Amino acid sequence: MPVDGYAVNWAAVVIAAAVGVAGMAVMLLGSFLLAPRRPSEAKAIAYESGIRPTPLAWTQFTVRYYIFAILFLIFSVEAVFLFPWALVFLETATYVFYAMIMFIAILLFGVAYAWRKGVLQWR
Amino acid sequence: MILELAHFQILAAALFCLGLYGVLARRSAVMVLMAVELMLNAVNINLVAFSAFRDISIVTGQVIAIFVITVAAAEIGLALAVIMRLYRRRGTVNVDEIDWMKG
Amino acid sequence: MNADFTLLIPEFILAGAGFLVLLVDLLLPREQEHRRNAFTSATAVLGLAVTGVVAATTQMNTGESFHDGLLFIDRYSLLFKVLFVGIGIAVVVMSVDYVAEKMSHPGEYYALIIFAVLGATLMAESGELLTAFISIELLSFSLYVLVGLSRGDARTAEASTKYILLGAISTAIMLYGISQLFGVMGTTRFTEMGGLLAAAGDWDMTLISGFVMVLAGLGFKLSMAPFHMWAPDVYEGAPTPITALIATLSKAAAIALLLRFLAEVGSGAVHEWRMPLAVLAAATMVIGSLSALPQTNIKRLLAYSSIAQIGFVLVGIVPNTVIGANAVLLHVIGYAFTNLAAFTVVIIIELKLGKETIADFAGLSKRAPVLAMIMTGALFSLAGLPIFAGFLTKFYLFTSAVDKSLEWLVVVAVATSVISLYYYIRIVREMYITETEDESKLPVPALLGLLAWVLFAGTIAVGIYPAPFVDATNAAVTVLTPWVAL
Repeated sequence: MPVDGYAVNWAAVVIAAAVGVAGMAVMLLGSFLLAPRRPSEAKAIAYESGIRPTPLAWTQFTVRYYIFAILFLIFSVEAVFLFPWALVFLETATYVFYAMIMFIAILLFGVAYAWRKGVLQWR
Repeated sequence: MILELAHFQILAAALFCLGLYGVLARRSAVMVLMAVELMLNAVNINLVAFSAFRDISIVTGQVIAIFVITVAAAEIGLALAVIMRLYRRRGTVNVDEIDWMKG
Repeated sequence: MNADFTLLIPEFILAGAGFLVLLVDLLLPREQEHRRNAFTSATAVLGLAVTGVVAATTQMNTGESFHDGLLFIDRYSLLFKVLFVGIGIAVVVMSVDYVAEKMSHPGEYYALIIFAVLGATLMAESGELLTAFISIELLSFSLYVLVGLSRGDARTAEASTKYILLGAISTAIMLYGISQLFGVMGTTRFTEMGGLLAAAGDWDMTLISGFVMVLAGLGFKLSMAPFHMWAPDVYEGAPTPITALIATLSKAAAIALLLRFLAEVGSGAVHEWRMPLAVLAAATMVIGSLSALPQTNIKRLLAYSSIAQIGFVLVGIVPNTVIGANAVLLHVIGYAFTNLAAFTVVIIIELKLGKETIADFAGLSKRAPVLAMIMTGALFSLAGLPIFAGFLTKFYLFTSAVDKSLEWLVVVAVATSVISLYYYIRIVREMYITETEDESKLPVPALLGLLAWVLFAGTIAVGIYPAPFVDATNAAVTVLTPWVAL
């Protein structure tokens, strides 16, 4: 079978993945073979700053997190536009620069609005 | 094996159909939203593949993909807010049970 | 490449007005709800009015395309721009009392109405699929929030959930269609696509599926059968002024986009889509009219009636002729006046009586004779009776279909018109004939009463003196390029 460019490109990825998996397997196997095992109840529970973790982790998160998540989402997606713009704005017309400034200004207005409306306060 | 345009189209179509199935079969509104996200990602694969395979100098497909990502994020944010409001009022996000209005 | 931003001055004013409304709302103290409501609504009306005046005075003779056909600033988009601004002003005015009574976020409410108008305007201007899609989303997102903004009514949460879920699905389907069309043609500009399609000969599967999916996405916005299921629930659950906004603004914007899309892209291949669209038009009319018959809630009834109206509009789109497009634009104008008048009356009734079933209209002719008259006029116009807008515009629509020998479609349209007359007359009978114990006079709020009069006058004006409107639609239609040659 002839080796085409496609296979060569992906060979590195496959090798890296194989090395990663192998390394992890060796470490897990090593600790499995070498470590002494004396189980007790206190050791079996999840470690959380030395305190017994109660209640169960299956509780609902407070709604507050959700608003922060949405704000975060909006600003992380903003970067999707910023990256291509940052690559080309020196070569394009000047209005492209100001268009992005305007875009960011609108988003900043959004933050100021959320702030003023008291969304960012932890109540 | 050399990847061709058709492979990406098949992947996109399969993903889109999975999403469509999820939209029709799932009863939780949140799961329906996730299925819609699948459909939108199918669109992105389709667009980027077309853009790359047809004529790499035409970037329209990639530009549309970027906008699709943004709109999808906004849609999810908005839809989750609306669904949460429904949950507070009715204690359910099951799309089969929201049938106060009939006719 | 023409990136002359001065072409977009009205849009910039509109967007600025939206932010200004939010700013006014932020700067006024939170406790003074009445002042906030008054100031933000006044700002919104002012912003919309300035936009309309600026557009009408400066863009009368422009026929430019922005960025090689991303947006078209021409007479066609000007007509819709002015119409949308007018609808926006009417909806803001009819909201003032409603918001004071039932809502708690006046600033967001009016700002979102302005953003919806902006989205609709861009839809009418867009000449490219991505631009069209973004404009649709701007309009839709504003409406999703507006539908769910009411404070007390538990139905709003359900309505907005249904609207946004179905809207998201239709968006995904439309986007997949856009990706297919882009893949086949390598462009998303309407004019270039039109040239390629005309030369394409037989359509392959990818092309057909892409075209169908894009039309399905638009059909959802239009509530065209079989994508009409959301309309009744959303109409009933939404705050009534927003119902009016959906019935007029979002429908008119979708028609504007569909008409331009089919004219620029589809003109070269009319034979491929004329019959399927004609069948859908017939189905939409029949479903809308028959489903309206058993309704008891006035908003639900108007929802089904608006589905039927979309069917009539499609009758004018199917022939793909200058006459048909003219009739469509005229019908949209008349329909906007008529529907807004009807919804103004419904809002007054809802505010005074707290309900919106058809039975609440009983004895209205004695309790508020003027309102009863305006409502009757609006319903007759919707049914297509003479001297009101509906008669004339429907006549034009049907004529345009006959020109392309689509007689069967006209027969269906006339039959459903007759059916629709039955359920419109039911409301009129309730108002004039049914006896009620409570015959006390209903006080009509000054602002809403005035608005109802103005809209009623518009309904009659389109019906008996259509010349200025026909001039406007004539000028608008000539810019849809492929037809000029016909």
